[in-house]
Amino acid sequence: MSTVRDLVATRRDNAVMDAGAVRAIRRAILTAIAVPGYQVPFGSREMPVARGWGSGGLQVTMALVGSADVVKVIDQGDDEGVNAVNLRRLILRASGATETDDVSESTIVQTRHRIPEAGMVDGQILVLQVPEPEPLRGVERDTRELERMHAEADYAKMWVSLYEDRVRNGMITRTTGYPCVVAGRYVISTTPIPRWDVPALHRAPYLALFGAGRAKRIYAIPPDTTVEPMTFEDVPFEVEFTPGARCRHCGSDDSYLVSTPREEGGETWACSDTSWCRARRHQRGAQ
Amino acid sequence: MTNITPVAPTLAVVGLGHAYGGIDDTTIAETGPAAGTSKHARTGTVVAAWDVSFDVAGGEALGVIGESGSGKSTVMKSIAGDIMPTTGRVTLQRGDGTTAVITEMSPAEIRALRVNDLSIVHQNPADGLDLRITAGGNIADRLTAAGWRNFAAIRERAAELLTRTEVPLDRMDDPVGSFSGGMRQRVQLAKALANTPSVVLLDEPTTGLDASIAAGVLDLIRGLLDEFGLAAVVVSHDFSVIEMLTQRCVVMQHGRVVEHGLTDQLLEDPAHPYSQRLVGAARA
Amino acid sequence: MGYAAARGGLAAIRAAESLVQQLREQATTTTPADIQLIEHFGALVDRVMGEGGVWGPEMAAAALRQGGGDPIEAAHLIRSKRSTLAVIAVARADADEIQVLRRIVPAYRTPPGAQILGATSDYAGRILDMSPPSTPADRHVTNPAQQTAVVENGDRTPQRLLSVLRDLDLVVDRRRDDDPEPFDITQVAARPPAPRSARLSAMARAETGALVNVWYRNILGPDGYLHEITLGEVRHGHIPVRIDHPHTGRPITVCRVRVTEVEAIEDLDGIDEDRTRVDVGYGFCLGHNEKKAIAMANLDIACHRDNGRTQLEQSLLLTTDGLESTGFLEHLKLPHYVTFRSIIERKMAARRRA
Repeated sequence: MSTVRDLVATRRDNAVMDAGAVRAIRRAILTAIAVPGYQVPFGSREMPVARGWGSGGLQVTMALVGSADVVKVIDQGDDEGVNAVNLRRLILRASGATETDDVSESTIVQTRHRIPEAGMVDGQILVLQVPEPEPLRGVERDTRELERMHAEADYAKMWVSLYEDRVRNGMITRTTGYPCVVAGRYVISTTPIPRWDVPALHRAPYLALFGAGRAKRIYAIPPDTTVEPMTFEDVPFEVEFTPGARCRHCGSDDSYLVSTPREEGGETWACSDTSWCRARRHQRGAQ
Repeated sequence: MTNITPVAPTLAVVGLGHAYGGIDDTTIAETGPAAGTSKHARTGTVVAAWDVSFDVAGGEALGVIGESGSGKSTVMKSIAGDIMPTTGRVTLQRGDGTTAVITEMSPAEIRALRVNDLSIVHQNPADGLDLRITAGGNIADRLTAAGWRNFAAIRERAAELLTRTEVPLDRMDDPVGSFSGGMRQRVQLAKALANTPSVVLLDEPTTGLDASIAAGVLDLIRGLLDEFGLAAVVVSHDFSVIEMLTQRCVVMQHGRVVEHGLTDQLLEDPAHPYSQRLVGAARA
Repeated sequence: MGYAAARGGLAAIRAAESLVQQLREQATTTTPADIQLIEHFGALVDRVMGEGGVWGPEMAAAALRQGGGDPIEAAHLIRSKRSTLAVIAVARADADEIQVLRRIVPAYRTPPGAQILGATSDYAGRILDMSPPSTPADRHVTNPAQQTAVVENGDRTPQRLLSVLRDLDLVVDRRRDDDPEPFDITQVAARPPAPRSARLSAMARAETGALVNVWYRNILGPDGYLHEITLGEVRHGHIPVRIDHPHTGRPITVCRVRVTEVEAIEDLDGIDEDRTRVDVGYGFCLGHNEKKAIAMANLDIACHRDNGRTQLEQSLLLTTDGLESTGFLEHLKLPHYVTFRSIIERKMAARRRA
């Protein structure tokens, strides 16, 4: 279950959406794949999770998943995160799919805020939960004007905001959800994944689908599509970096690390991707 | 032997007319200077502008003068593509030699034209600038819209333009909202020139400025017009502005052109009573 | 330790859910039955049906019970139930068939038809009654037949004030002949500019407080796009709902639902508007919810007059849904340590650069 042909194949009913909704969402997904980076409006259904809690990602996954699928769900990179556990229960119960925390075993990875460190391959699908899909929201509030800007690829306001950021702060201070140009045309919000994960989207071998349930938008990055972070030619795009930080469990300094403040002061670091960290510990232990 | 080839004017306005409400021969005949109004008594139709034609060549500035309600703003908006006139044609020769028929363009095409080929300097700087962002950022808006992607190059170009329009470079990174009215107008000029347009429209560019400040801005504009060789249309109610900036001008009243000619001749010897009144006011 | 606590894990989530269960089990009284909620908390049940966009008093009562009395939570439960149901037919209802239980016309002292106050405590003093709950046996029993008779004294389908005003040619005529199918906001995302039917549907399902707030801040707050209307019609009553029979194709009545309907009269005063006529805004929602229907009718006409000048339509379509606003707000409680790390990293980077 992974190719575009598979997407148009069957009628499915499940315990969170009727078959008509499944068909409508699959059509929206196909449109999104056909126009990379374009935010396709869709009749987002109310899900058994609240708006903003992955209702868009859940609809995308539920429109794709079948009992033969193997699903990995993560929140902040963690399979045991509250949102991940909650959504995994719903997906498994409604579809009969099996679960895994191993990226390589999965057919679908649904995620909030991270891309797995372990590379995914052709044939797998990454489903990202999107709280706010509009990359230009910070520079324009009027939805009619936003539509016009995307339609005409008029991104000058975003460039000006990057210019102003660089002038005032000596660097670009944007954090997560970094705006990127997809296939040289549409600017997307990279959900709030960290900048660390952005390079992984560029010419990725797998299909990435972005579902925004509250905002009723689906967009896609098909395999092998260019994803370029918006930055000036002479201002390098910077990923997160903390000098000297290393995972206290596996010792890595080449993964996305999150901080744990210590009561006695200072902080320690650990991989946000917990299953990747565990695998690396095993690997190190075995050596 | 010199080869003389006819050069297409950079900006051509032909038979421009715009009315609010239905029009026929009588609405046109029964409005205008002779009728003393642009509003048709029987139908209520407002003939905001009618039968307006003029050319402007590169390096030339043409004035459009009249009081409020004379139709000069309608002419201006039609050239800018802000309104689609009822009749007539406006064409612009782009820098690359192609012709843009503004009166046939889509809103998206108009926006692209206004990035690259046609700039407007508004009476109120807030209409042409984002006051929350820096002077450099306002210029970067034009440059990035035209495809500039190198930060250092954008900085350099912005600095060059601000220097030319006499904005101190130590203010380049300050929000324009913190600038005085005259300084804002200079930033607006810098922004208007960013992509070296072929046509610039100046809409009452010094109205609202103190006389001493206005004189400096007018001096600057005149220098810029000479230097950049662009075709300019200056709209004003004030003959002293028209006198300072333009070589030719048209006088509008109640939606019609009542007189046109060389600016200094027209000032010297206005034929139409309305022109005489305007000249009198400027000389007072 | 902190890191471990931030991880939910299946066990932790299950424990949290069982605590909710335990608290309920500790309750010393019987869980209220659907019928108790419907009979005693009618305003709440009606609000949940309106915001949930589903007619079903028992369903709404069950959802309220499950949601601990939170109407937005209850509306969420019935909306996600609705997502699982197939669309089998499109129902139709004709507002002229409303059998009124209550009908008031503030615009006239004596309108055609009658002023029918119906059941309302609008005019009662708000004096808290702390007497203990009554039982059926305690109550002074009114004869239900008698109560109906009060209503039947008036015409139960009184002539609309609007039709009278139309006869006098006092209303701008915006009726159209093409009768387009209404926009279905449950199937298609509505974005400005949207057809009127999309705005009306969005308002009918909006969170009541949110809609009232949009109305109020537009009347008296900084936005100020609105004019106060005169109410021409406030109705609460039953309306028959019909579908076409799948085999015979003939319309059949499948149920009667209670609705609130409002027609608001707007005094046109704009430069381009017809100063010799008035215009009308429309409000309609499930159940008895006059606050919502009045706000809706006023916002409907305001949005029409605004005609895209301001962002009123965007506010109505995109910010008044209770599930969307509260869901987005509550998502802030989810872990955000990946994004927060990225924020702190830029702060530290900016310091290093300075």
